[in-house]
Amino acid sequence: MRNLLRFIVQYHFLILFLLIETFSLFLLFSANPYQKVRFYNYSHDISGRMSTRIENIKDYLSLRDENRILAEENARLYNRLGSSFARVAADSVYMGDSIQPRKFLYLTARVVNNTVNKQFNYLTLDKGSLSGIKPEMAVIGSEGIVGIVKSVSDNYASVLSALNRDFIVSAKIQKNGYFGPLKWNGNSADYATLVDIPHHVKIETGDTIVTSGFGGVFPEGYHIGTISDFRLKGGNYYEIRVKLSTDFRKLNYVQVIKNYALNEIDSLEKANKP
Amino acid sequence: MIKDLLNYLFQFAVLILAQLLVFNNIELSGFINPYVYVLFILLIPFEIPKLVLLVSAFLLGLSVDLFLGTPGVHSSACVFMAFARPRVLALFSPREGYQTGTLPRISYFGLEWFVKYTMMLVLLHHFILFYLEVLTLHHFFATFFRALLSSLLTSLIIVISQYFIFRK
Repeated sequence: MRNLLRFIVQYHFLILFLLIETFSLFLLFSANPYQKVRFYNYSHDISGRMSTRIENIKDYLSLRDENRILAEENARLYNRLGSSFARVAADSVYMGDSIQPRKFLYLTARVVNNTVNKQFNYLTLDKGSLSGIKPEMAVIGSEGIVGIVKSVSDNYASVLSALNRDFIVSAKIQKNGYFGPLKWNGNSADYATLVDIPHHVKIETGDTIVTSGFGGVFPEGYHIGTISDFRLKGGNYYEIRVKLSTDFRKLNYVQVIKNYALNEIDSLEKANKP
Repeated sequence: MIKDLLNYLFQFAVLILAQLLVFNNIELSGFINPYVYVLFILLIPFEIPKLVLLVSAFLLGLSVDLFLGTPGVHSSACVFMAFARPRVLALFSPREGYQTGTLPRISYFGLEWFVKYTMMLVLLHHFILFYLEVLTLHHFFATFFRALLSSLLTSLIIVISQYFIFRK
C-alpha cells in the first residue's frame, strides 16, 4: 500500500497526464450515438448563437457581393416567367400542371458556421427541426451543390459539406449522361474527383458536371462544376478532376431541398436487397 | 497573485477569441492553418504546479473544440503539449537554470531560446492535432506537410506577436 502511494506521488504528473489524455481521446472516439448527438446539440446551440453574431457582421461586410449574386439569380428566374416568352397563339395560355403533385420544396437558410480547411468539413445552418429540416436533405447554393444535412437540433442544422471525405454524390456529364460517383479528395477546396466514367466516352475540359438525381437526395440537373482535367486510370476508366462551381469560402445563403419522394424511393430500393 | 490570475484568465479568453475570429479564417490554399491559441501554454510561468498546467491546457483545448465541433482533437493535442513542456524546458535550459521571478519570454531569455522553445512545442502540438484530425495514415505526406507548414506559420505569428504584446 505504501509503495503504491509512493509510486503515485512519484509519478503523479505522468499518471494525471494519462488520465486527462485518455479522457480527451475518449471524447474523440466516443462512438455512442446518443451522447454524441447530445454533445453536438448542446455545443451547436451555444456556438451557433455565437456564430450567428459573428456571421451577422460578416454578412454586412459582404453585402455587395451578395447583392450581385441575388441580382443574377433574379435575372435567371425572371427569364423563366411566362411573361418573358412570346405567346405563339392568342388562345393558348401556359398553365402549371395541377395533376402533378409537388416533388421538391425549397427552404432558405443562412450559413452561420463553415469550414473549408479540414479533412471533414461541416457547415451549420440557422434553421433546424422547428423549420422542417431533417437529416438527409440536400443543400445547394446559388452556384451549385453544397452538401447534405447530417443532424439537426431545434434551431440549427449541421451539414456534411461537399468538402468532406465522407461526402459522395452521384454525378453525370451533362452532354452525354454518363454518370459516376463524385467525391472530395481532401486537398483543395476548389476541386473534387469524378470516377468510373468508361474510357470510350468523349469528354473535354470545360464540360459541365451536374447531379444525376440517383439516390434521391439531390434533384437531377443541379450544377456541380466543370471538368478541369482528366486521365485514364488503369486503362478502363477516367479519373476526372472537377472544378467545383460553389465557392465554399464565401457561402452565405443556401437552399435546403426536401424531396417528397425520398422515403418511397428508399423503401422501394431497400426491398430489392436480399 | 489575484492580479496575475486575472491576467492569465484574460489572456485565455483573448487567445480563444482571436483563434475563433481571426486565425480560423486564415487558410493559405486550404492547406496551412495556424493555431495560435497555444501561446497560452507557452507563456504560463515556470513555477506553475504541473497539475494546474495540465488542467488548464485541457480546458483551453476543450473550449476551442466546443466551438469547432471537434470534441477531443484540440484537447488531446493541448494536454500532450502541456505534458511535454517541462521536458522541453529542461532540454533548452540555460546553464544556470531558470531563476525564480523569470518568465518564459523573449525579454528574459533572448530570441534564440524563445524560437527554439516555441518551435519544439508547436511542432509537437500540430503534428498530434493534424494526425488526430484525419485519423489515418493514408495521405501521410500530405498531412505531414500540412502540419509542418502550419507549425512554421504559427511559430512565426507567435514570435512576432511577442514584440507587440510585451514591449520594453
